[in-house]
Amino acid sequence: MNSRERVLAMLDARAIDCLPAMPITMMFAADQIGARYYDYATNCRVQAEGQLRVAEKFGVDHVSVISDPGCEAADLGAVIKFFPDQPPAIDEENALLKDKTLLARLKPPDPLGGGRMTNRVQAVRMLRERASKDKLVEGWIEGPCGESADLRGINRLMLDFYDDPEFVRELMDFVVQMELCFAQAQIEAGVDIMGIGDPASSLVSPRFYNEFVFANQKKMIDGIHALGARVRLHICGDTRHIAEGLGRVGADIVDQDALAPLDHARRKMGLQPVLLGNIDPVRVLREGTPETITTAIAECHRQAGPRYIVGAGCEVVRDTPEANMHALVRYAREHKPSETRVASGR
Amino acid sequence: MSTLDELKEVIINGNAPAAKRLTEAALNQGTRPGDFFAGAIIPAMDEVGRRMRECEFFIPEVLIAARAARASTEILKPLLAGDSSVRPAGTVVCGTIKGDLHDIGKNIVAMMLEGAGFRIVDLGVDVGPEKLVDAVRREGADFVALSALLTTTMVNMKGAIEALIAAGLRQQVKVMVGGAPVTESWAQSIGADGYGKDAPAAVELARRFIAEAARGMSAARRGAA
Ligand code: B12
Repeated sequence: MNSRERVLAMLDARAIDCLPAMPITMMFAADQIGARYYDYATNCRVQAEGQLRVAEKFGVDHVSVISDPGCEAADLGAVIKFFPDQPPAIDEENALLKDKTLLARLKPPDPLGGGRMTNRVQAVRMLRERASKDKLVEGWIEGPCGESADLRGINRLMLDFYDDPEFVRELMDFVVQMELCFAQAQIEAGVDIMGIGDPASSLVSPRFYNEFVFANQKKMIDGIHALGARVRLHICGDTRHIAEGLGRVGADIVDQDALAPLDHARRKMGLQPVLLGNIDPVRVLREGTPETITTAIAECHRQAGPRYIVGAGCEVVRDTPEANMHALVRYAREHKPSETRVASGR
Repeated sequence: MSTLDELKEVIINGNAPAAKRLTEAALNQGTRPGDFFAGAIIPAMDEVGRRMRECEFFIPEVLIAARAARASTEILKPLLAGDSSVRPAGTVVCGTIKGDLHDIGKNIVAMMLEGAGFRIVDLGVDVGPEKLVDAVRREGADFVALSALLTTTMVNMKGAIEALIAAGLRQQVKVMVGGAPVTESWAQSIGADGYGKDAPAAVELARRFIAEAARGMSAARRGAA
């Protein structure tokens, strides 16, 4: 069973040789090939190289095109600050939609129009060519709340929920339409599973999540399914208060951060969604030892039950010891989904 | 319900226009500017902090409440300037540390401290040691509140504290640090005076520092006598 088959079998609840492992790597991957992060985020060749290195060296089951949340915003004309060896950052003070009225004139960029989105589509194509015989290819788009925050400025968006709900609805409508177009281009280039990152959705109340975010996440997910790809929904931060919705929204994989325990997620979401994660990327994965990591992952596995994929709560951070990354994947290789209580200390 | 009680309610509920209106009404009824803090604004923001801890309030609710509190303090500030009987509880220079652009947490900390009666000098994000030292000196700060959300930037907090030492300002200020990756033990290891896990904790820390300073002063006075 190769990596790709393994993940797909897990998603389809078919028999499987061992657990899949799908940790998010970005800066870690760039460092692995000695590339500066600027190059990793802006040059598909460098990114593909880094992803292939991580997948081969550590045995991670997927390769991904995630890099930073600024791809779509950049192509829409937002001011992005670039750094030599850090992720590009959106200039929030001068956010594209600082003036709300500009939304009416905004047009979704052409994902093949030669901008940062095109670079990502090309990265998908390269990974498809070079890895898909063995690895699962993962695309990436931003979720409705996250991308709205990127375009409007997150501090402003948080107030808009109260001040101008109609604007928030229109903005999220626009975002869903744009992201589905971007998703389609990536799927046509060869994506098996689409990652959706929606970090800002953990910052709002259950009421606002249900009123504004849920339906838009669902529209995105249903749209991606209709285009023939699976969905991994990743949300940073503490999501306990919106867990119930995350369980119903239709993602094949719910990938949550270390702040939200998997037993809580399982209770709220039922047995269907595959849970991915979620050891603390810093306190456990970077600062722990192979032994403490094995124990922590075993605990996640126990809490999640058999429908589980090994990973960290969020991006594997820079300077994570290689032995720790090996330990993470080793747990997956040495355990079948049903072997949940074996907390071997190897 | 008294006007101040009503003011407290509308601040908690984030109604800035009502906060403005009620502040003006209470002033017209003869409430002294200095009485708004203990009578409405501070208890309101304490309640907001409590609801945040209990997960009744999330970021939007906290931000609109803080905005309502500000609608009231904006009116009061010029009136307080001439009143020597009411002094701010102290001056806090705050900011997000060098290399870090996350500011939601820092903004909430600043707003809660402001609600608790402190004077705030907000340096924004990506604050380097020079900028910090300049502000502490210029503003005669009593407290420094630094925020970091990235493991890669929290190390810069150490540099900020070292810069305060080098500038001879470390004795003048109490330094508190916070942000998701920051811990109590990290705060101790870099020589900060305190760590707070959330915005209410920042207020508790600042109040504790003041209480300690007061005890220290009376002890010193007793010592001298
Ligand atoms: C919003 C957000 C962003 C926004 C920030 C917008 C803004 N204006 O702030 C944007 C999109 C710009 C962003 C960018 C990045 N982010 Co970000 N972001 C977040 C997110 C989703 C929320 C953070 C937040 O605001 N929380 C809410 C506030 C209220 O909480 P808080 O800041 O912790 O503050 C509270 C307490 O900590 C405390 N506190 C805070 N400061 C202080 C100070 C004192 C003195 C005291 C006493 C208390 C105190 O009180 C506050 C209120 O109770 C988190 C994930 C999450 N959901 O937590 C990731 C997260 C912080 N980001 C992360 C990363 C990696 C990044 C990027 C590098 C991403 C990338 N690859 O592009 C960039 C870096 C940009 C930069 N140079 O700073 C990681 C950090 C990982 C790590 N440990 O290093 C996180 C944890 C996500 C994750 N799990 O990976 N991000």
